[in-house]
Amino acid sequence: MRRLALMILILSLSWTTFAWAAEKKVVRIWHTETEPQTVAAFQQIINDFEKLNPDITVKQEALAWGDLEAKLTAALAAGAPPDASHGQAVTCASFYAKGLLRDQEDIAEAVGKDNIWEAVRRQCYHGEKYYGIPHSAATSLLIYRKDILKAKGLKTPQTWDELIKVAEAMMEKDKDGRVTRYGLSLPGVGLFINILVGELTKANGGRLFDLATGRPTFTEKPVIEVLDFYKKLSATVLPPGWLGHGYLDTFANLATGKAAMLYQGYGRGAGYIEKYAPKGMANPDHFGVMVKPKGPSGKETAAQIDAEPWMIFKNAKYPEEAAKFLKFFFKEENYIKYLHTVPIHLLPTLKSVRKNPAYQANEMVRKWKEWQDMQYFYFEKDLAKPTLIIDWNDLRLPFGLEILGSGIVPDMVTDAVRGMPSAQAAAKAQARAEELITKLGYKRW
Amino acid sequence: MKKGADPKISSMVPSQESTLPAAPTFVRFWHRIKALQVKKREQIIGLCTIAPALFLILALTLYPVAYSIWLSLLEKHSFFPQERFVGLENYIYLWHDPEFWNSLWLGVVYSVWTIIFQIILGVAAALILNETFVGRGLVRAIVLFPYMIPTIVAVILWKWLLNDTYGIVNYWLLACGIVTAPVSWLGPDHIMFSVILMSIWQFFPFVLLSILARLQTIPPELYEAAKVDGASAVRRFLHVTLPQIRGILFVVILLRSIWMFTKFDTVWLMGEGAGAGRFIRTLPVYAYMRTLTYYQAGLGAALAVIMFAILVVCTVIYFRMFREEADIG
Amino acid sequence: MKRLKWRLNSNRSLIYIGAGLLALQASFPFLWMVSTSFKPPAEVFAQPPAFIPQEPTWDNFRRLFTTTNFLIYFKNSLVVSGSAVLLTMIVSAAGAYSLTRYQYMGREKIAGLILCTYMFAPIMIVIPFFILAKKLGIENTHFALVLAFTSFCLPFTLWLMRAFFATIPLELEEAALVDGAGRVRALVYIVLPLALPGIIATSIFTFILAWNDYIFTRILITSDELKTLPVGVQDLFHSALIDWGLIMAAGMMITIPALLFFLSVQRYLIRGWGAGGVKG
Repeated sequence: MRRLALMILILSLSWTTFAWAAEKKVVRIWHTETEPQTVAAFQQIINDFEKLNPDITVKQEALAWGDLEAKLTAALAAGAPPDASHGQAVTCASFYAKGLLRDQEDIAEAVGKDNIWEAVRRQCYHGEKYYGIPHSAATSLLIYRKDILKAKGLKTPQTWDELIKVAEAMMEKDKDGRVTRYGLSLPGVGLFINILVGELTKANGGRLFDLATGRPTFTEKPVIEVLDFYKKLSATVLPPGWLGHGYLDTFANLATGKAAMLYQGYGRGAGYIEKYAPKGMANPDHFGVMVKPKGPSGKETAAQIDAEPWMIFKNAKYPEEAAKFLKFFFKEENYIKYLHTVPIHLLPTLKSVRKNPAYQANEMVRKWKEWQDMQYFYFEKDLAKPTLIIDWNDLRLPFGLEILGSGIVPDMVTDAVRGMPSAQAAAKAQARAEELITKLGYKRW
Repeated sequence: MKKGADPKISSMVPSQESTLPAAPTFVRFWHRIKALQVKKREQIIGLCTIAPALFLILALTLYPVAYSIWLSLLEKHSFFPQERFVGLENYIYLWHDPEFWNSLWLGVVYSVWTIIFQIILGVAAALILNETFVGRGLVRAIVLFPYMIPTIVAVILWKWLLNDTYGIVNYWLLACGIVTAPVSWLGPDHIMFSVILMSIWQFFPFVLLSILARLQTIPPELYEAAKVDGASAVRRFLHVTLPQIRGILFVVILLRSIWMFTKFDTVWLMGEGAGAGRFIRTLPVYAYMRTLTYYQAGLGAALAVIMFAILVVCTVIYFRMFREEADIG
Repeated sequence: MKRLKWRLNSNRSLIYIGAGLLALQASFPFLWMVSTSFKPPAEVFAQPPAFIPQEPTWDNFRRLFTTTNFLIYFKNSLVVSGSAVLLTMIVSAAGAYSLTRYQYMGREKIAGLILCTYMFAPIMIVIPFFILAKKLGIENTHFALVLAFTSFCLPFTLWLMRAFFATIPLELEEAALVDGAGRVRALVYIVLPLALPGIIATSIFTFILAWNDYIFTRILITSDELKTLPVGVQDLFHSALIDWGLIMAAGMMITIPALLFFLSVQRYLIRGWGAGGVKG
């Protein structure tokens, strides 16, 4: 009896040590594609990868767009970051500057350095090396009710003033004088205000930060004009409560006919329109996209890039395994599976995939081609830039992440829209931004 | 109830109160030592049983708080290892920071309005639910719901109700002609009102429950006596009910004040700090933003310490003012 | 006589109106939530909004259970909150018993200390707590969460239990001791039965505190399968294109079990709250 017990003990001990020796490596990947179909497709890719690499387990974590920076912060503070994660371009730049990222030259080689779409190469490219390859590419879109525009015989606006006129013309009132359709719908959420201020400043030929010193330039004419534009929009074509509207609300407004245009639309919205718009209207003949207008001081228009680079953290547990996974992720058959889950929004980072007929053969890609083409237009003409970035070189500024999180820019817009003179609101934000940059130790002027 | 223990016990355990016989001095001495030992043993048991609680409180609360106070003296980036000792510089900075004063004001506005109405509604509701009527049990259960659900559910629910375009509240107000245009409840003008309303709705059941429990223990004879004396309902409330609930009211007001002044979840989830949320950027929200969105952990900690200091001062004043009620068991 | 009867009736009707209003204000938002959760996407935004869906559907629930991790969040919430309550109640019962039954140095100071800990905003504790958890290697675990919940539940329960135990007269135990019972038996047979309503009430309130926590979970937990309901539901709400119908379905699935539970224990709650309530 004792001998049996001893044998069992030895067996179980050896089994546990054997198991421990062959312990699986758990790679943690964070991303911001939370739609269920994308999560499912990503899981399939993971399962296929695990079959080929039985010693590696991959765990994915889908986070809401606005939550990512805060959680990465906390994880880094604890010294326990994920092995790979999405992030804004400014986030990637910030982390690179602090020496936290593993370079991705090997992944770039694996997918073919020439195969990476030029338009998004600089999302996280520093010191002549890739530190982040975007998981997909997209731009913001000006979505509008094509049928109403045609019915009223209006022309596509080229400038901001024209946009306001067109939006006003597309408004509807009922017999009591109450508005039943607004001209435009915008999200009042901090992140989106940051995005739009960056876009509008670029479209107005201005800058947010001086390139040489990094000093904020909020008090210069182009930015003041952006604030004036916000004021006019608020007074004429936006719903009065727009500052309280979320991203979701703007799409609901567009789909149900409560708003005629969305300045901050995205390809993803096509799926939303298919779900909520009346049947028969869910197509590009009713919901089209137009080129964004330029500002009074600007020469060309601008849009925002939504193309989060994959970042791999040097000090994470299994960065090499994460790199291995990403190489697998970008393999054409896997990548296409991923892209097809939100086809109008997830445009391929790799040129070969874009040309691949297997990618082209997708119902939504065919139906909403107009929306895809508009995004390609912005990319090809280099009109699109990441959040708060006017020029690719702005990514060298090390405080983008903190400015993004601080709410200084949304506060500036809120002040202006609530009645403060634009110059005063800009000056107040300027002072706050300068103070923050100084406190962070980056003052160079 | 029969005074004394279970009869089975006394038959099993020998009596402790042994009669001291006329025994030799040695035996008496031995008993006296034993008595002392018992007292000491009692002390040790007492300390041992409070020890786990004390340990947990020290480790889980006081250590983080001490660290926070230390943090407030540093200029530290929330996740990069940049830090610099700056003494009281953070506090001086906040003194001059208009956002700080703004958030303090918003915090006070929020706290005061929510507390006042939570108390009034809670007491009124308790009085109603103290009476017997058909369906009382059901109403008592229903009325506790708002307090039980996670804040995020309550926030989502109210955001849906108050949605300016699709919400049912606006629909009714328009249909009844009370307003002529949809009100943007979550916009800058009304969001403070909305979050106060939502907080009152969510938290007054706590007051209700506390007061109701106390009301149930008030002997009905007191009311009968008052009725016989010809007192009206109002009089009965003032002279019978109010004195009886003073004690619990003292505690409840204190607790709710502390909790509403430091309330983070509800306010943050309603507005998320920016856009319209700027107008409900109370002190706890501002502290959170400084730490986790500006990434300035030192300033965030300083704000938390300031909150604590304000609460301590107010609590001391509160206790002084209502000394008699501060008889907490 | 007639005047008195009229007065009584009007008082009664006032009470019924009051009770009706109370029930209405608490239940209406939920009824609207139930209504929305059964609506197909097109009807959610219909104007004018209808209370009864024209084409009620189970689809929102189906999607909630099959495409999201809702059930996992629910299980996590139950497990973590339950464990936290268990730990807290045991420790605080022992502590409260000690504070009211034994004499030793610093006893009163401890009581004051408890009140002090109330006044620390969770904000103050979260980041240092996180760093502590990281040092111990337990960040992103349920164990850390249980400890976090304990940190803000313990002062609450300790204070309440102390109040409850204080209302149980020492004489009862002393009589038991005279009769020859040991300390432990006196505790089990005398004190606990009397304190039971208070223990139940305190447990329920503590459970609610733990169940509703948002900020500690937000900061400590990073894996989706470990999230509790508040954080899980918020992430669902923020996900691109998750819709109101599904969110309302989630809300309903959180509320219905709680409702049933509360219906069954509301009697104990009120009795327990009053039994150990504050003197005065």
